Amino acid sequence: MIQTERQDEVVILSLARPEKRNAMLPEMLDTLHHAIESNNSARAIVLLGLGKVFCAGFDLKACAADSSGGTMRSLLSGLSGCVRAMRECDAPIVLGVHGAAVAGGCALLGGADVVLADRDAKLGYPVTLIGVSPVVSAPFMLAAMRPGVVRTRQLDPDLIGAARAYEIGMVHELVESSEQVRERAIEIGITLANKPGHGCRTTKRWLNAICDVSDERIKTGLEGSLSLTGGDEERERLAALWG
Amino acid sequence: MSDAVLLDINDKIATLTINRPDARNAMSVEILEAMHKAVDSLADTQTSVLVITGAGRAFCAGMDLKAVLIELSGDPAMGERLLTSLAELTLKIRKLDQVTLASVNGAAIGGGCGLTCVCDVTVTHADAKLGFPEVDLGICPAVIAPWVVKKLGAGVARKAMLMGGVMSGQQAFHIGLVDQLAPDRDGLETLTHQIADRLASGGPKALSATKSLLNKLDGSLEESLVMQGAQLSASVLATPEAQSALAARMKQ
Repeated sequence: MIQTERQDEVVILSLARPEKRNAMLPEMLDTLHHAIESNNSARAIVLLGLGKVFCAGFDLKACAADSSGGTMRSLLSGLSGCVRAMRECDAPIVLGVHGAAVAGGCALLGGADVVLADRDAKLGYPVTLIGVSPVVSAPFMLAAMRPGVVRTRQLDPDLIGAARAYEIGMVHELVESSEQVRERAIEIGITLANKPGHGCRTTKRWLNAICDVSDERIKTGLEGSLSLTGGDEERERLAALWG
Repeated sequence: MSDAVLLDINDKIATLTINRPDARNAMSVEILEAMHKAVDSLADTQTSVLVITGAGRAFCAGMDLKAVLIELSGDPAMGERLLTSLAELTLKIRKLDQVTLASVNGAAIGGGCGLTCVCDVTVTHADAKLGFPEVDLGICPAVIAPWVVKKLGAGVARKAMLMGGVMSGQQAFHIGLVDQLAPDRDGLETLTHQIADRLASGGPKALSATKSLLNKLDGSLEESLVMQGAQLSASVLATPEAQSALAARMKQ
């Protein structure tokens, strides 16, 4: 579910369930987590999605099919762990969004150092509509964006265009079309990989230190999202979606 | 006082001009000492606004490469001394009662760009060059990172400092590194006067109280972070990787 390639000194990881808009399953997040950790000493990592969009979020069909709520719980924990691993990874991480980064897909942005997107891409966290709280990603968003913006994006289920996401600091660079995302992301990855490594790694570690996302905050965010899982509201809304 | 820095007082507005145009106002020991003195002297004035700018074509090109390149300076401790002095200067500027306005007349690079981030308001023109190319030279902008993060927000700051390079005044305005943009170099002087006058029209007590509260709220008083950053920058600066990258840059 994760495809790994190498170009020059850049490791390219791609979410690889294109027929499902790269919808996340627990195994996908485990594999991604492992891939990030095992490429810690890479000079740069690029994270992309195969197919039409970057990522549509959790596989809700799989969540609805598991009435115990276990799949949703694994996904939430797996997502939190992945974003944290991306942040703690020594290699700088470039994330390229083409088409859409929705819900859990959008949450991955919180672990990236450089985010680019095509101008028409849609981003956001429409998960309250299905009775899920996106607060699992709030600690990472708060470490990157203005608190007022984070609040709005967490509570408003609307998707926003990449141009607006650029204005509020969620996206750092725009490209004109979704076809250009991969090439430009790899180009940025190569630029990063060619920088003297020690200075670059030290800078990333120091930025993590001064904008600390503490374990306690990460735990609070995850527990906030987990607390709703398996509840009536979520079950009914998920069932309505797939019933 | 040496002429490394000029300090002009005009009623409520003080203007500090970094004055080594032939060295693009790069921060040497001499410049930093003169800046410390000039900033200290503001306590004895009735000013409520401090404008910081550069003489000649550059605002400030960052640390003086000749001083931090050990094979040229012959002094392995020079880098740390300069970085500590810069750290103390930024803390001092942040805590001033005066509202500070960086008028970026030309290149503001590395530490020079960090200096703009510690100021309360930054103006420039579309063609100025700003940025943090430290990582391109194998060095680490840790000493100024706390100010850059406060100015840009952590996510945008992360991208700017990890990607390195420089950007135009126009781009700097887009990401919030600059607060207002003059159409061109000539227009910057007029814009700077306008904004300085507007800032100076506020009650001095109200201004300094607001500033001091904002400093408390946004963690600007955490001095240890900036001092620790200086140590970290100094340790990376002393590595062979950084020294050879800097030597290569000097030869260009």
